[in-house]
Amino acid sequence: MTRLLDVKDLKAGYGPVQVLHGIDFHVDDGETVVILGANGAGKTTTLRAICGMIDTSGSVNLEGGELVGSDAADVVRLGVAHVPQGRGTFPELTVEDNLDVGAYTRKDNEVAADKEKWFETYPVLYERRTQTAGSLSGGEQQMLAVARALMARPRLLLLDEPSLGLAPIIVSDLFERFANLNDDGTTLLIVEQNARLALGIADRGYVLESGEISAQGPADQLLNDDSIRKAYLGV
Amino acid sequence: MAAKKILVGSAQHRTYKAVVWGLALLALVLVAFAFNDVGQITLFDNKYNLSLTRINKAIAFIIAILGLQVIIGYTGQIALGQSFFFGLGAYITAYLVQDQNWGYLSTLAVVVPACFIVGVILGLPALRIHGLYLALVTLAFAAIFPSLVRLDQLFDITNGSNGKSVESKLVAPDWLPLDGIAGVLQGIPYFGQFFGDGDLSSREADRVWKYMLFVAVAAVCFWLVANLVKSRPGRAMQAIRDNEASAAVSGVDLARTKSMAFGVGSALGGVGGTVYVMELGIASPDDFSQLLAINFIVGLVVGGVASLPGAVVGGFVIALIPDWASSTQSVGFVPERWLQGPTGTLFLGALLILLTFFLPGGIVAGGRKLKAKFVSLVPQPPDLPNTPTAITTDDAVDDDVDLDAIERANQVQTT
Amino acid sequence: MDVQLLLARIFDGLANGSTYAMVALALVIIYKATTLINFAQGEMAMLGAFIAYTAWFNFGIPMWGAVILAVILSAILAALVERVLIRPFDPADHLPLVIITLGLFLGINSLAGLIWRLDPLRFPELFPSGNAIDWGTARLSWYTVFTVATILLSLVGLTLLLNKTKVGLAFRAVSSNLESSQLVGIKVGPTLQFGWALAAGVGTLGACVFAANPVLQLEPSYMLRVLIFASAAAALGGLDSLWGALAGGLAVGFVQSVVVQYIPWVPNQMSLAAAAVVLLAVLLFRPAGFFGTAQVSRV
Repeated sequence: MTRLLDVKDLKAGYGPVQVLHGIDFHVDDGETVVILGANGAGKTTTLRAICGMIDTSGSVNLEGGELVGSDAADVVRLGVAHVPQGRGTFPELTVEDNLDVGAYTRKDNEVAADKEKWFETYPVLYERRTQTAGSLSGGEQQMLAVARALMARPRLLLLDEPSLGLAPIIVSDLFERFANLNDDGTTLLIVEQNARLALGIADRGYVLESGEISAQGPADQLLNDDSIRKAYLGV
Repeated sequence: MAAKKILVGSAQHRTYKAVVWGLALLALVLVAFAFNDVGQITLFDNKYNLSLTRINKAIAFIIAILGLQVIIGYTGQIALGQSFFFGLGAYITAYLVQDQNWGYLSTLAVVVPACFIVGVILGLPALRIHGLYLALVTLAFAAIFPSLVRLDQLFDITNGSNGKSVESKLVAPDWLPLDGIAGVLQGIPYFGQFFGDGDLSSREADRVWKYMLFVAVAAVCFWLVANLVKSRPGRAMQAIRDNEASAAVSGVDLARTKSMAFGVGSALGGVGGTVYVMELGIASPDDFSQLLAINFIVGLVVGGVASLPGAVVGGFVIALIPDWASSTQSVGFVPERWLQGPTGTLFLGALLILLTFFLPGGIVAGGRKLKAKFVSLVPQPPDLPNTPTAITTDDAVDDDVDLDAIERANQVQTT
Repeated sequence: MDVQLLLARIFDGLANGSTYAMVALALVIIYKATTLINFAQGEMAMLGAFIAYTAWFNFGIPMWGAVILAVILSAILAALVERVLIRPFDPADHLPLVIITLGLFLGINSLAGLIWRLDPLRFPELFPSGNAIDWGTARLSWYTVFTVATILLSLVGLTLLLNKTKVGLAFRAVSSNLESSQLVGIKVGPTLQFGWALAAGVGTLGACVFAANPVLQLEPSYMLRVLIFASAAAALGGLDSLWGALAGGLAVGFVQSVVVQYIPWVPNQMSLAAAAVVLLAVLLFRPAGFFGTAQVSRV
């Protein structure tokens, strides 16, 4: 398997506060990788660092290209799409505009076809295509945010706590869809607190604690690890 | 050069403070006599007026800017219409003194509550909505002030476009030996020449008397604001400025605190207007336009936002620079045509933008940095062995810890 | 009630209101993008009108060519202003930005005074003279008709630009969610710059049309009052609604020329004060204006 994303000695923070103290991890092409961790462990910061939204040092390598030092708007062009925490849709724009803006960086003429595809995958979005995104329910907004991110045809999709604030039944449906996406060939890097659900669809996992990787391994192995079960699965 | 370290609270610190205050007081007295009739500097063939009239005008502006410090500097509410209250105060004083035979200073009994109430009313939008709505409303009211006082219905009170002049003069009381002091100062060898060439005329004595009155009024205002800032409501104001949401959840009554800040700040604007009329003897509509409102903002920013000395510096800047710019008739290579016209305003605008970029803390912050090279005040180390050291940062903030730099670093990171 | 007089007042209000709407439109464009109110908008527009005048008077460019040239030049200038003076600051911190726009206000106002002096100038007539309707005292001048047409055309053009083009989509995205805009690959800086340029262009067009009013003359302070009326108009319309700016502009225009005429105890000179009171009342009782999006603050 080819290595898609290779992160080495990643350090990042906000002003004088350093959050990540040099972490290493990688994502292979076609994989689903999950990063677990408690509040404040640095999960969101990791994704923001990859995307060039905060000052970062170390190395983030995407198929041979270095992302550290790139502008957030350029990272998308290099093939990384990011669904930030709290959905990150454009509340005042219609559902269809949200999808269009997701394809902002594309210059090919298959944008309309892709939109059709996502409308087929998520029919509820088609029904509401002329409504503003802000009027959708939480689960619908999360779907829209994912579809919007995929409109950029990324090689890697970053998902920041997609389960946050959603009802359990919607969350399990959502993760099923993520698994489907992965089956269709999208590589996923998910950051989650809901360890059981995330490890359920993941190939591999990392555990982040206070800005450092404290454990890693195949998903089923992490699921059976005693200390992880205690800390993140509440068993 | 290493800065001399002075321990806060030590005997050395007390001496230092006494010397600084003593020098300031001495300067205030000397200024009164020095700039009375020879207040003029000549630089490259241009004569710059520094008479007591200018300084008295500056004091009026200083008090108004002090009011802005309360609203913008300490409470973080962007209100731009201080000229409205300045004008209101000026007209109330002019009317009461001229038509109702009040004494000048007793008009403050009306000016202060009136401006306080109007200030609270104009501040109302800021209680409901965030952002720049307050700036918009206040600037609009600053813009309409001149046309308000020109209203036909108000002609009997405001005297319309002619302006309301006041005949009553402020006369220096006989018991004050101003002439004697001037004589003594003029008698000093060499330095005497800076204190005029002859005896004080009665007009000059009146001017010095006014200056002393104004300094006293300003001192009371500064004393009140300095105490307000340190008080419980003052800390609530600063909490709102720093983070409104967390102030609210910490139990700060937003509406009451903001209203109080608007009221106090606007009242100070009115006091400034009273002083202005006492000095000029006339209140005319176009003196209180939105241009003055923006000039007050210039003074606030150039002096230093959220700094009491900043108000002093700012008042002088906006009182002197436009005047000096128009008396500049020749500057080296600049063609004369470009020196005739609103050069002062251009200069203030440029100053405003440049300082926002390069010295966000204003001239006072620049001065602090310079001072830190010579004297640094060191906070007392904690006495008790188990007192957390963090407590002392409160004192350190007072002077020289460069919070701005940290703040800026934060902003760079997040943008 | 005298119908002719009423009509005459309405026509007056229409002409003034359209001008306010143009400048309000410029304010709205920048507010939509940045939630900033550009206090120098009126002065930037004034500068644009002077540029048009100079191109026409000193360089002999035909008047409409001069206006178009001024619109383009002021857009370029505004783009430069955004890049150099606005972009370095944190958009969420309002005070420095307000101070910068106030500095611009002073700078442009005094610069215009230095360059063109303070004597009023006669701006060329952009529209045919004469009246479209001539009924006793009720006269609708062609100037008014064309002024209204200009604002309508501008609005249609802007609506198309924002809704049908890619740069328009980017502009709407940035105004809706700044961070997500970056995440979809939109360069926020240049998009806001586009907003500044657009606003300045619209403002200059409005200022030129206003200056072409046969009863007005061009001088550096002629936009000072307009900014206040335009602010009231923009607030009335909701500060972030393009068509709200038109509605707000016309409303303020009508208040100024109709309402003030018919309420006996409101004197003539009160029109500016009326605008300020409208502004205060709107912000107190209906902060989102009549067409704007209600503001939600999250902790």
